[in-house]
Formats: sequence, structure tokens, C-alpha cells
Amino acid sequence: MYTLLSGLYKYMFRRDEYCILILGLDNAGKTTFLEQTKTRFNRTYKGMSLSKITTTVGLNIGTIDVGKARLMFWDLGGQDELQSLWDKYYAESHGVIYVIDSTDEERLSDSKRAFEKVVTSEALEGVPILVLANKQDVETCLSIPDIKTAFSDCINKIGRRDCLTQACSALTGNGVNEGIEWMVKCVVRNIHRPPRQKDIT
Amino acid sequence: MGGFFSTIFSSLFGTREMRILILGLDGAGKTTILYRLQVGEVVTTIPTIGFNVETVTYKNLKFQVWDLGGQTSIRPYWRCYYSNTDAVIYVVDSCDRDRIGISKSELVAMLEEEELKKAILVVFANKQDMEQAMTPTEMANSLGLPALKDKKWQIFKTSATKGTGLDEAMEWLVEALKNRQ
Repeated sequence: MYTLLSGLYKYMFRRDEYCILILGLDNAGKTTFLEQTKTRFNRTYKGMSLSKITTTVGLNIGTIDVGKARLMFWDLGGQDELQSLWDKYYAESHGVIYVIDSTDEERLSDSKRAFEKVVTSEALEGVPILVLANKQDVETCLSIPDIKTAFSDCINKIGRRDCLTQACSALTGNGVNEGIEWMVKCVVRNIHRPPRQKDIT
Repeated sequence: MGGFFSTIFSSLFGTREMRILILGLDGAGKTTILYRLQVGEVVTTIPTIGFNVETVTYKNLKFQVWDLGGQTSIRPYWRCYYSNTDAVIYVVDSCDRDRIGISKSELVAMLEEEELKKAILVVFANKQDMEQAMTPTEMANSLGLPALKDKKWQIFKTSATKGTGLDEAMEWLVEALKNRQ
């Protein structure tokens, strides 16, 4: 009887934990996106002033709860030489958010190359990818079709997985909720990577 | 009466002094960093047996900074200082490739401590003015930092003798500490 009740209790108050990697070149807005997300999805979180964010050489973390799912974010540094650290996190990731700076036309091809490496990695097979075209608040930025064209030869490398390109501005918060909600939907239905289960105690 | 006002005043404007530990192997440059932060100069140091503690004010935030001796025989005493620590500055000599393994195991042992679960970790890749200094990526890998998945961490390239990198590091630390509360 006790087992039955405790089982029910556990079932009702269980949270499924998903790990989400935030990747992209340096200065794409990964940390700003993370801070914006944390502020929007945690009512008690005050957030740091977005203008004070500096270059990440390391790891930033964040946790948000959306319904029964708990998302844990790992935001990694994006500088060239730091990209070799990315794959250390692949095996445990349930989803990837790839952030592109839509105002940086010059380095779009660098970003594409880094993206290719991410999608072709075996350790990330079948993991949903959200591509964020960030900084859409800047008037002169590239539009979604422009970016899709630039990334067009990646399409057949994406393989069988959920992938969405979303316009967003991490600074103003436009597109952030849509992106996160899409990500939650995808990681929950992805049966190949079951969540880590944590009881709330 | 004065005491009453000063209590109100400090609860409105004052913040608790932040407690920061500077740790790392011997000869990494901990004491040089401490005094560079406090007086802004390079002082001549001798190996620390015991500790140095100073109050450092940075951007209106007061830090109580503890620099503990790093020699093998006194490393076990680090843990006596762990309670109520807000941040750990872990200093590594970027040229000392031979002992980076030891540095890693000390760091790993330190991070397992319950009392430091909430502390912020900043790694100073010190002595970057030297040639053949390790890059941040090399250092992250050698210290096993990618295995650390539930803690925020950041590496800064510093040179305590030249004074480079310390400002950015402190600025980052101030933001991280403010953000945490």
C-alpha cells in the first residue's frame, strides 16, 4: 500500500530533466539569450543587466521549468579555440540551440562551418536543433530567408531530427518564448533520448 | 541612537562582505594577485606558510580575500576555510605543465566539498606573459573542467606581474556575485 501511494506521489511530482546546449560563434548572443530565458521563465529570477554580459570563457548554467519538463542549459564559450570543448557535452544533451548573429555577414560562413560540425557529430544524432537567427532588432540584419540560403548546403546533413529556424532578439526577448516552447515539445517527444528523472523533494 | 541609524543604513545600502578564497598550488602567484588587487602594485613575496587576508574594495563591493598557502604539506588545511565562501579564485601557473595534474586533483577534491557547492569558480590562467603559456582551452581540458556540469565557471588569462586580465576578471566576478543573490 505504501509503495502504491509513494509510487503515485512520485509519478505526480516527478520532473523530467532535459539538458540543452547553447552553441554558436562568440558574440552571437548565447549568454544574453540564456539570461533572457531565465528571466522570462523564472518569476523570482531578477536577472543580470544584459549590457554587463562579457565574453564567456567557460560555462554558464541555468534551469527553467516548463510544465512537467525541467530544462537545464549549458551555455559554452564560442571563440574559435573554445569550440573544441563543445563535444564534451554532446553525449548528455537532449537538445541544441544554435545561435547565429544575423548582423555579422562576414562571419556567416564561419558560423556555417561550426554548425556543420555540430550537425554531423554522431554523438548528437537525432537530437533536435533550434537555430536562432539572433539580433533581429537591428534594422540592417539578415532576414531568415537570407540565412537559410547561406546554410542551404547543410540541409541534407541535418538528417532525421527536428530542426527549426526561428527569428529572435535575445536583447528584447522577441521569439524567445516561441523557441523555448518548440524545444520543450521536441525534447519531450524524442524517444531516442529519454530524460533524466528527478523527484522533487 | 547612532547604532540604530547605522543598522538601518547598512541594511539599506550596505552589503555583506563577500568572502573569497584564492587557492592554487605553491608558486602559482596567489599572493602576488592578492596584493595586486589590494594595492595595485607588485610586491615581493615569499612562499606563504599560513595565510594572508586583506579587504579589497572593488566597484563599491567589499571583499574579504583569503590567500592560503599552496605547498603540499599545508593544502589539507584549505578546507578549514571553506565555510561561507562566496567565490573561489583558483590560480594556476600556465607554464607549469608538469604539475597541472596535481593542480587538477586538488581542484576536483575541493569541488567535491559540500560547503563550496554554491561558490562561484573562477580560474586564473596566470603567468600569461611567459612564452609557452597554456591557452584557456588547454587549461580547461587539463583541469577537467568540462566534466563540471552543474556549476558556472570561467577562465581568465592573467599576468599578476604585468597586471593584465585582473580587471576583467574582477568585473566578471562582481557581476556573477551580484547576480547570484
